Amino acid sequence: MQSGVSRQFVTRVLLVVPVVFGVVTLTFLVSRVFAPDPVALYVPPQADEQLRQEIRARLGLDKSIPEQYAVFLGDLVQGDLGESTITGRPVTSDLWDRLPATFELALFSLTLAIVIGIPLGVIAGARRDGPLDFSVRGITLVGMALPSFWLGLVLILVFFVILGWFPGPVGRLPLGATAPEKITGLYTLDSLLAGDWGMWWESLRHLVLPGVTLGVVVMAPITRVARASMVEVMRSEYIRTPKALGIRRYVIYFRYALKNALLPIVTMIGVIVGFVFTGAVLVESVFNWPGMGKYGLDAIIKSDFTALQGFVLIASITYIVAFFLVDMVYMIIDPRTR
Amino acid sequence: MIDMTGDLVHEDTSFDLVAPARSRWGKIRYVFGQSKSLTAGTVLVGVFILLALFAKFITTHDPNDVLVGPPLSSPSAEHWFGTDKVGSDVFSKTVAATALDLRITASAVLVALVAGVLFGTIAGYYGGIVDLILLRILEILQSIPTLLLAMMVVVAIGPGELNVVVVMAFIGMPYYARLVRAEILTKRHWEFAEAARMVGGSPIRVAFRHLLPNSLSPVLAYASVNAAWVVLVTAALGFLGIGIEPGTSEWGSMIARGQSEIITGEWWVSVFPGLFVLILTTGFYLLGDGVRDVMDPRSRK
Repeated sequence: MQSGVSRQFVTRVLLVVPVVFGVVTLTFLVSRVFAPDPVALYVPPQADEQLRQEIRARLGLDKSIPEQYAVFLGDLVQGDLGESTITGRPVTSDLWDRLPATFELALFSLTLAIVIGIPLGVIAGARRDGPLDFSVRGITLVGMALPSFWLGLVLILVFFVILGWFPGPVGRLPLGATAPEKITGLYTLDSLLAGDWGMWWESLRHLVLPGVTLGVVVMAPITRVARASMVEVMRSEYIRTPKALGIRRYVIYFRYALKNALLPIVTMIGVIVGFVFTGAVLVESVFNWPGMGKYGLDAIIKSDFTALQGFVLIASITYIVAFFLVDMVYMIIDPRTR
Repeated sequence: MIDMTGDLVHEDTSFDLVAPARSRWGKIRYVFGQSKSLTAGTVLVGVFILLALFAKFITTHDPNDVLVGPPLSSPSAEHWFGTDKVGSDVFSKTVAATALDLRITASAVLVALVAGVLFGTIAGYYGGIVDLILLRILEILQSIPTLLLAMMVVVAIGPGELNVVVVMAFIGMPYYARLVRAEILTKRHWEFAEAARMVGGSPIRVAFRHLLPNSLSPVLAYASVNAAWVVLVTAALGFLGIGIEPGTSEWGSMIARGQSEIITGEWWVSVFPGLFVLILTTGFYLLGDGVRDVMDPRSRK
């Protein structure tokens, strides 16, 4: 059995390799072949052709596309994503600096989505067509249809402009405040470790609106899948039996049924983890949250293709890894796939 | 179950088989009676189609005119959704944008569906190396988060209605292809397919005439979900300022233009176009649920 699992693990890894390679190639092609001439970003419009040529040579753009591709791959293997035109720093260090902000946001919303979404979906699915099921179906439908950036604006309108409960879209801390000393990069955690309660409260307050915005968007599909999966499971005979034996309802729902309804839910969580970067672009842009998504968006607006390419690559690889992990979890929780 | 003419022994999922024999009107009533979602979705999407078709008669002002009223005036009898900061009528702009967003959605879904079905049928029927290569290409396309891929390609090929349609179709296509491929793969050795081959049907005829029509129901349900996605992503691209040419009335870019007014309290500039996006997407999702309800008897009550 053990060797079967490890053999499957190796097969899966081997299957991931060509996909990663394809994604790398596609990102390269889109950004090099179609992209506008990046030289224009470096020189004034009246610059002469000789200066332009020099800059092209320095950027390595005077070579043919296959040569450029080889250089790009060589750098990539060494963990070099090139230099950003805007910041003038390596894209990898730019992204690394912005990772904690996105991570904190993603962690908050995922936790919210899982802790509220799964139980809600499970109970709704177990009591199909009841009043709770009806409301859950309505809420998840609207949740899926909501444009996240618009929801963010509406939350700002209600909770900042009208009620004044939460701060406006100024990022992770009040304007002018200095960040806590970097330990993990998560402000809510670092301020706690530093014992600064005022800072902790402020960073948490700033996290709530963007976190809830992203949370609602990711909660809807998780709840929907949990519900659908439970509906399926509740039909089966191993649920009918404990029901007939008079075992308490919530024990049946969460101990017997949920265990068997888990596979699609796990898949959806994988999809959602992969989706976080996409969601982050929109939500971070609305709330001026200085994370990776905002960085990717700035790269687009300022036609910084090296930075954009780096961001898309990292996002895609996260996506692929998330799916890979889902497969691994499958092998652990579902003996049939072994 | 073998029909010796080799034609049309379709075993499931045709509306004719779902509904008992009745008049055409009776059949339509029967199908809609099966699912409230289907009815609600059809009504919502239908209203938007009417809005788009008759936009010229519904708008109260010229959507592209500035200063038709005092800038940033709140909703009133004269300006139902208020005016924006250059004094354009938000209601007229929102209605005018309906036509644009629906046109993009319909074209993108249609192109993605046709291309995807074509690819999927070929891959599923021929199998082997063709299938392997096509599947890898689809897998690569699906490994880049969709909004990011859309952003990248739109920035690369430039803004504009046609470009947005091309990008959306390009990204949507693999999902149709995989759906159809999986269906064909499971059905290509079913009796009705074998029978069609036995009486001398060419591979292309068997694939497209016999297998494809029997594999379309999940595709139709997915088309609706795909449409919802196109509406959302078009709005997102507009919001980020990279989709449609700047200055065009489009829901996403209208929401973006009202972004600063949210803080100062003039909420109507952003809120109304966003509501339109929300209602249309909800309509498409309901429609998708409804189609699935009708086609899959298990999800019926």
